Amino acid sequence: MSGSLVHNLVRRLAYAFISIVGVAALVFVLLRMVPGNPVATLLGEHADNETVERISSSLGLDQPLPVQFANYVLGALHGDFGESYTLGKPVSELIGPAFLNTLWLAIAAALVAWVVGIACGLLAAIRKGTVVDRLFMGFSLLGVSLPVFMVAMLLQYLFARYLHWLPVAGITDWTGYILPAIALGWGSAGSIARLVRSSVIEVLQQDYIDTARAKGRTNTQVLVLHALRNAMLPVITLMAMQFSGLLSGAVITETIFSINGIGRLSVQAIAGRDIPLLQGTTLLCTFVIVMGNLVADLLYNVCDPRVRKGA
Amino acid sequence: MRRRTFVKAMLAAPLCGLLAQGCSSLTDRAKRGRLTTAASSDMTTMDMAHNESVYWAQLNIFDRLFETRMVDDKATVINSLCANYSRSDDGLTYDFALREGVRFSNGDPLTSSDVRYSFSRLLTEAAVNTDIPLQIRGGKALMEKQAAELEGFRITDDTHFSIVLNAPNGGFIAQLSSAAMSIVNERVTREATNFGMDPAETIGSGPYYVAEWVPNDHFTLRYNEHYWGDEPTVKESVQRIIPDASTRDLMFRNGEIDLIDLSNIDTLIVQRSYKTEHADQIVYNQQVGMTYLALNETNEFLKDVRVRKAICMAIDVDDIVNNLMSGDAIRQNGIIPTGIWGHNENLGAAPFDPDGARALLAEAGYHDGDVSFELALSGDGPKLLYEAISNQLSKIGVDAHIRVYDKAAWLDKRRSGQIEAFLATWFMDYNDPANIMDVFFGGSKQVKNRSICYPDTDVMARISDAKSILDDEERREEYRRLERKLVVEDRAWIPLYEQARLFCRGERVERFTPFWAGYGDFYVKDVVLRKEAQT
Repeated sequence: MSGSLVHNLVRRLAYAFISIVGVAALVFVLLRMVPGNPVATLLGEHADNETVERISSSLGLDQPLPVQFANYVLGALHGDFGESYTLGKPVSELIGPAFLNTLWLAIAAALVAWVVGIACGLLAAIRKGTVVDRLFMGFSLLGVSLPVFMVAMLLQYLFARYLHWLPVAGITDWTGYILPAIALGWGSAGSIARLVRSSVIEVLQQDYIDTARAKGRTNTQVLVLHALRNAMLPVITLMAMQFSGLLSGAVITETIFSINGIGRLSVQAIAGRDIPLLQGTTLLCTFVIVMGNLVADLLYNVCDPRVRKGA
Repeated sequence: MRRRTFVKAMLAAPLCGLLAQGCSSLTDRAKRGRLTTAASSDMTTMDMAHNESVYWAQLNIFDRLFETRMVDDKATVINSLCANYSRSDDGLTYDFALREGVRFSNGDPLTSSDVRYSFSRLLTEAAVNTDIPLQIRGGKALMEKQAAELEGFRITDDTHFSIVLNAPNGGFIAQLSSAAMSIVNERVTREATNFGMDPAETIGSGPYYVAEWVPNDHFTLRYNEHYWGDEPTVKESVQRIIPDASTRDLMFRNGEIDLIDLSNIDTLIVQRSYKTEHADQIVYNQQVGMTYLALNETNEFLKDVRVRKAICMAIDVDDIVNNLMSGDAIRQNGIIPTGIWGHNENLGAAPFDPDGARALLAEAGYHDGDVSFELALSGDGPKLLYEAISNQLSKIGVDAHIRVYDKAAWLDKRRSGQIEAFLATWFMDYNDPANIMDVFFGGSKQVKNRSICYPDTDVMARISDAKSILDDEERREEYRRLERKLVVEDRAWIPLYEQARLFCRGERVERFTPFWAGYGDFYVKDVVLRKEAQT
């Protein structure tokens, strides 16, 4: 590993750490600035003032803000993010399984997006200006334009309601991931396909492609080893950012398909004014996005010698 | 050629997998004796000391001394764990005898000690649902940790005990039927580290025990072989958490759930699809609760009874019931809702008379646009109803402008007595007028807590005292007099309607009786599966 790469990595890690701590502090303060006692939401209509005050006190919400923040940071350093008000369990216990569900969904959706996106983009680039190109670009435009909830509902009606091939919602086995993965991955596939197409077309016009052909490389070799490899640099950045976005929760997809993931947990935390749970999910999402960006930067370093050498 | 075969095989494999999966799913769905339902959100805990909004677990895992059940279409309090009881002449002491041979789902016998522990625990946990056990002598001392035991709970033997109250309460037996008063297994709960969250530590004597709970995903109940009552046809119940209403709708149509609560399904779908295609499968149930308009009497305009009367006369409740609620509601004219003991059917409806309302406002010295107040809407409140009321009031020149609040902020503001006007629904927990009269008008604290700020302390004192009247007829009459005073004379409460809750039975369900109070939660044992779905 070269010195500049190590230097770059350390610098990026420091930025990542500052971002995460900053977001944690900001979320903590903002959530407490919003009017309304979260215990009121928790207890609902029937509770009187005395009960609200008693429970608020037992949750430590009557303590000064700096004391609450200090307690939160101390707990977080020991892996204790508090207990969810609405689900009554330690936040770490709730986030773990939810993140795992989101991770599987993100991997499945990313696979759909990457395989479909790269294949369509490449074919469209090769068959530029033909019916195939228009067909694939139309398909990708549809993916980018259609809202996720509409795709999700269409898929549910087609594959679950009429064909009875797949369950409407819920994850009881691997088939439960198919429809949400397509619904979530299609939009990303559209973006990737369009980017791959334009990048490949641009690369195919470069001199070194002619050189490769002159050396006797087959069309497939030229496409895969030269054109696609070089065209993938911007695509990798997009893919990494899309993946970190998917990992931070797909609220609509998770809600429609009843997947107990990070996105749904966050929405539930917002609706129930569940401060510890919301802090936990936000912190996790921040971590994932920051790390996603870091990985994208590092991949860029690895793939492009010019970036590595600081050119 | 070989490559083509390979490609075909590659395409066919996942398809076959899917079909096989589909077939196995169908087999799963057809599993005998299982009922699958769906809820929009999960419960917080099964512990009644920390939960007073979702009763799914409480109704099915635990028993109470009494239950409120529908008997001849009337909500009636009947004996459950209690075999018989007697009340002393002064109304302070109740002697109870427990049903013999009742066992918890783990096989432990249920005794008087379990009952005492269950009631005491609500006070020692000191969170929610403390109001009923607090009426027992020594309840306050126990809650404030000044006593180690509940003084007013005296055990005679394993199946006999007495309860001494601080003051007589004519509705005490009805209160004991509320889900909050569920009986837990003392031995297991004392040793438990996570009661209410861990199924193994949450033991009751009800018809089911919790087989599995995956928060935010599903909740599985299984038949309790030790149950003392009739064996239900549903041997296993899986409640899935499906937040999206259209997904629940689709799952029902697909046969993935057997019973659907239509309350959150789009009204158009209910009207045009369920009520036509599944008309004979619809189960109607009145939600025993009241949707009302509350007006804060500290407001400069609303403190004038003529303004409140004018507002009442400007609201076309029948129009709201017939159009906004599509007829799935009953107009209410009082405070005690239809279905509750003490409800007064003879209380006449307030006239809808916009011209009279204008005249009344003019008499009070107000003209178009003079009267203005905020109609505070909680984020999850009935937005369309707010718009309808605001629109109807605008026709008599009253500006009731809607402002949306986050639910926590709305509740905070209401508890501090600062909301000028709001619409809400109150659901009954037990079959007694005190559950609404006392909660809203039982004292200065209550009227402020509800942002009504009703000022008549004499009326409030009478409402508080009405609980203590032991003669049922006398108590009912007193509540009716007070209700008339509040609604007709003072217009301190503007009643609107009682909404119906609609369920739709799937093909596997033969019969279903919803919970008497019209909650979304119900007794699973009240679902009867068709014979072919049972065995």
